[in-house]
Amino acid sequence: MREDVYDVAIIGCGPAGLQAAIHAASKKAKVVVFGKPQKSSLYKAHIANYCCYEKPISGKEILKTGRKQAEGFDAVFLEEDIIETKNENDLFSLVTESGETFTSRALVLSMGVARKKLGVKGEKRLVGRGVSYCVDCDANFFKGMDVAVVGNESAAVTGALTLLLYASTVHLICRKLVVTDTLYNRLRDSQVEVTEDTWVKEVIGTDEVEGLLLKNGDTLNVNGVFVELGAKGALELAANLGAVFDAETFSFIETNKKQETNIPGLYAAGDIAGQPWQIAKAVGEGCVAGIEAAEYAKRLVES
Amino acid sequence: MGQGVLDVDDNNFESEILKADKPALVDFWAPWCGPCKAIGPAIQELEQTYGDRIVFARCNVDNSPNTPTQYSIRAIPTLILFQDGKVVDQVVGAVPKSHLESLVQKVL
Repeated sequence: MREDVYDVAIIGCGPAGLQAAIHAASKKAKVVVFGKPQKSSLYKAHIANYCCYEKPISGKEILKTGRKQAEGFDAVFLEEDIIETKNENDLFSLVTESGETFTSRALVLSMGVARKKLGVKGEKRLVGRGVSYCVDCDANFFKGMDVAVVGNESAAVTGALTLLLYASTVHLICRKLVVTDTLYNRLRDSQVEVTEDTWVKEVIGTDEVEGLLLKNGDTLNVNGVFVELGAKGALELAANLGAVFDAETFSFIETNKKQETNIPGLYAAGDIAGQPWQIAKAVGEGCVAGIEAAEYAKRLVES
Repeated sequence: MGQGVLDVDDNNFESEILKADKPALVDFWAPWCGPCKAIGPAIQELEQTYGDRIVFARCNVDNSPNTPTQYSIRAIPTLILFQDGKVVDQVVGAVPKSHLESLVQKVL
């Protein structure tokens, strides 16, 4: 564990996370930001509806400039996904995909929302009958069985490594892996059977999962399929901390106008805090969350 | 308003759920499951509304391995609606509260 405690940790480096970092760091808080800029929905976008910018601006440029601004106030950036969160003794502890633990007094969640389902034949019908979206929840039901994990990023790779403790054979189906070198090496040295350059075409099975049909034409006989796209999201990282979600979709974290959640020191901003999914809203909420989180951390130190 | 969400296990599942004089909605969950935690408040709210007519219960799959196996549970949260000892319907995952409510209304 790293001994230094950050005042504010921020998960996600899209517009909400960047603005939170800028405001928290400019208030002299010690700030660390986790995430990969290419994962922001802004990365490939061109923005034409953001106040005061008349010509369409590149999302990639905005993200680059925002990071530079935050770094100008001494915020630290790590291009790592967070795979585990805990809340103990007034401190948040965060584990990165490379396995390092960081601690902070306040935590801002701004990792956005992402697609969780594959959208292939057989998937919906076999949910709960071998198709799962949560390794941490369901690994225990697949003891001694053959399973496959589908995904290209940290959630899939850490999920596959976790499943080795339960299942007899673990396959990882991916197009191209996008993880840190440390995590990649852990995977390479493990018993996980990796199939790259392909994807799932269909989940096969009558009453329960019997196998996968891959786009490369191969069939894989498995009893379980874990769909773990992207990085871990709100349900995995925030629900464990006790954060309340919107009851209608369980996709958004409930916040008040200070971007506070129901958990002291935990803030949410941007897409993860609800619609509209617009850069202007994300930046506004990030600003509030950054200021509030910095002040919370300061109060905690002084108390 | 009902009695709160009842904790059930492998030992009392039959008496509390299968032989209950009311229909029962059982939430199969575990403490380390994020989506299970997320839907918890919604289930408590439904209990407040329908708890006088339906038993709301939860079964920790960590402590009670037999009951989930009996109902072929492979993912949590899974919610199963029982009436007269038989499965009426079930849902898997953190589904919207309105979805859970329409499930409950099937036995009203």
